[in-house]
Amino acid sequence: MLALDFLNAPYPWQPQAIADLLWVIIALPLAGAFLCGVLGKFMGRANTSFLACATVAGSFLLSAIAVFAVGTRSTQFISPGSGAPVPWALWLDLGRWFGAGDFAAHYGFVVDRLSGALLLVITGIGFLIHLYSTEYMEHDEGYWRYFAYLNLFVAMMLTLVMADNLVLLFVGWEGVGLCSYLLIGFWYQDTEKAFAGRKAFITNRIGDFGFLIGMILLALTLQATEAMGRAGPGRGNFTDLGPAKAWVAAMHEQGPLNVEVLRGWASRMPPDQGEKTRGVMTLNTVITEGSLKGKTFGHVLTAVLLLMLLGAAGKSAQIPLYVWLPDAMAGPTPVSALIHAATMVTAGVYLFCRLSFLLVLSPTAMAWVAMIGAVTAVWAALIAFAQDDIKKVLAYSTVSQLGFMFMGVGVGVWWAAALHLVTHAFFKACLFLGAGSVMHGNADETDIQRLGGLRKEMPWTWATFGISTLAITGIVPLSGFFSKDAILHGAHTLELTGFPHLGHVVYGLGLFGALCTAFYMTRLYVLTFEGKRAADARVPHAHESGFPMVFVLVVLAVFSVLGIAWGLPGVVVGPRGEKVALLEGYFAPVLLMAEDLGSRYGLMKHEHASPLLGFVIAWAIALVGGAGAWIVYRHWLPARAGQPLPPWIAVPWRWARHKFYVDELYNFLVIRPFTALSNVLYKVVDAGLIDTVAVGGTAGALRKVGGWLRYTQTGNAQNYATVMAVGLLVSICVVLTWVLR
Amino acid sequence: MDGITLQHYLFLAALLFSLGVFGVLVRRNALVVFMCVELMLNASNLTFLAFARDAGMDLGHLPALFVIAVAAAEASIGLAIIIAVFRSRGTVNVDDIRTMRL
Repeated sequence: MLALDFLNAPYPWQPQAIADLLWVIIALPLAGAFLCGVLGKFMGRANTSFLACATVAGSFLLSAIAVFAVGTRSTQFISPGSGAPVPWALWLDLGRWFGAGDFAAHYGFVVDRLSGALLLVITGIGFLIHLYSTEYMEHDEGYWRYFAYLNLFVAMMLTLVMADNLVLLFVGWEGVGLCSYLLIGFWYQDTEKAFAGRKAFITNRIGDFGFLIGMILLALTLQATEAMGRAGPGRGNFTDLGPAKAWVAAMHEQGPLNVEVLRGWASRMPPDQGEKTRGVMTLNTVITEGSLKGKTFGHVLTAVLLLMLLGAAGKSAQIPLYVWLPDAMAGPTPVSALIHAATMVTAGVYLFCRLSFLLVLSPTAMAWVAMIGAVTAVWAALIAFAQDDIKKVLAYSTVSQLGFMFMGVGVGVWWAAALHLVTHAFFKACLFLGAGSVMHGNADETDIQRLGGLRKEMPWTWATFGISTLAITGIVPLSGFFSKDAILHGAHTLELTGFPHLGHVVYGLGLFGALCTAFYMTRLYVLTFEGKRAADARVPHAHESGFPMVFVLVVLAVFSVLGIAWGLPGVVVGPRGEKVALLEGYFAPVLLMAEDLGSRYGLMKHEHASPLLGFVIAWAIALVGGAGAWIVYRHWLPARAGQPLPPWIAVPWRWARHKFYVDELYNFLVIRPFTALSNVLYKVVDAGLIDTVAVGGTAGALRKVGGWLRYTQTGNAQNYATVMAVGLLVSICVVLTWVLR
Repeated sequence: MDGITLQHYLFLAALLFSLGVFGVLVRRNALVVFMCVELMLNASNLTFLAFARDAGMDLGHLPALFVIAVAAAEASIGLAIIIAVFRSRGTVNVDDIRTMRL
């Protein structure tokens, strides 16, 4: 039995020295991106690949040191938001980035246990995928461009994760969006792929806009709080004389969007509790200062969180903005594995874990997050039933799994969401890279109906893909089981103020989503690897991939198995003395505050219930789903080959096949009206008013007047003199008549 | 002399000036145009002298003397230009000399 105390062992290096070098973690891949992009063409393929891999490996080593350092209690920094020490974390403040009025933002980086875990995932899986790419992209002319983008992505993702304030986080947020766009449209000469890149970018812009508005609202809220604390007595919790002095100072120094400042705000802002909160500001207090005048803090906070949900839905491909992710599969497969499965798309989940202390203050926002996640999980899983493109199935599977993570965030088990994020990163990266290996060995064939029987021809790919399939399905000794079940357990035992049945609805949807997951993943596996090779396959015999690719697959598969240890319940002693899962205890310093706020204010809590029954149900569901798919695709369908499907399957199948016509719906509701409006603007305003009337009109009028005036230039001095004489005469007459009177 | 007042001189000067302007504007021969310019100068001289006499001040004679001197200089340069133009173009008709138009 392990205890958290082993992490308190004395540490050989000074934590401050490690904190001072945090920026190098980002700078290395950034420099790599620059070198690969500028010099990659001249350095040659091998040097470029080596440089790209080496920078990420260097980041990985530094991240590992930093994560090791935050394992000890002596690693701490003094929170600018409260003046209290923040244990198990490193902080590096490189000074002010910009300030404007009351607003400020710093170049600050924090590594705590949450961002540390993400650092290891990003740089670790990032390195493996760089390694895999050296073989996968070995015939591509644009290898230097590819590695430059990939390194830039890693740098941006690290910025997103390590930023100590939301403004810097937003830089990373936009940066990964940019890299995603560049890499989806990597083969930009193919119109369809270039279009997919644009679709991803624009869909993300919608979400980013929501995120930006949310950030601005949040900054205004904090500034209003500070102004009200300064103005009034009876605002005891935020006057700059009282205990909030450090907080007020940090507001000015670090700016309102620093995470520690936000944390300080959340810790002082209770909901209205009658007598207990007399004389202090609460979430029900009406704002009296600034542009948010007249609204209560709670309402503004809910609006902020819902706007951030929109931003997260864009980045993490949730309803209603999920449509870009399946099309994003146009990019190279390792990109799909790194960006669109393991790291970037989890940014929304990370954001809500980071801001869990704000989320817990608004049950409405939590309910929205949970429902969006649950509905997305089921919706995407249903679409995945009927897709034949191996990468499309995995893409919808990713959307669905991200839905599970949002579900975890929304029902208040942030550690489970983060755990699922980590385990999903491993097994989904393994699945994607397995798909890439299949494509590599089958002349880029992606249609699973035209594959099949690869089990013997690609044994390593088969084994690793099989293990990851079992992991995502949730079979017991693999990592997906406990991470998914921890989320479902959290949903099952949730008691959220104002939403009594939310937990049960989410739990039901989650179970159904898990059933669908088991079914479509088994279908994918069976059609690709089992049975006979399809008659219309592109190449008669597939070949197994080379060492770098197989090595990466094996490492990821091993972690898909070992990941079970992180989620095994009752392994370590948690912060409240009870036995909890390894990662629950590990993340506790970061996430505990949200749980404390939830239970202290009675907003959210989880019943204590044995998870055993849930385990049995989840396991049974995984087995049923998997066995169902096995029977259908190994026995039932092959036996009926050539016969039409019965109508009760055919109709829903066709709907799922066409992705429930959501793209068509968006096309009809948004794109076509927008195109029509653009056409009107183009033809009437641009071509009509601006081009013809304004620009052409000016030129035409000048030409006309000039044509008339041309006749007056005769070159004859006498004509000019005549004009002068007449003009002089007229002038004299005018002067004599009006001026000299 | 009694019947002749300042106004008579001024009317005469205006008439001379107008004749000069008219000649400058309509005559085609450069020499005639040149003579009309002299006419205008003399009209202005007459105005100066008429006012000087009317006001009983000799100071008004000064500009008239200047004008005569300037007119003499102008006549020499102007005639030189006219001769040069005639030598180069074979005509002194101003309608044929249109170098101010491209």
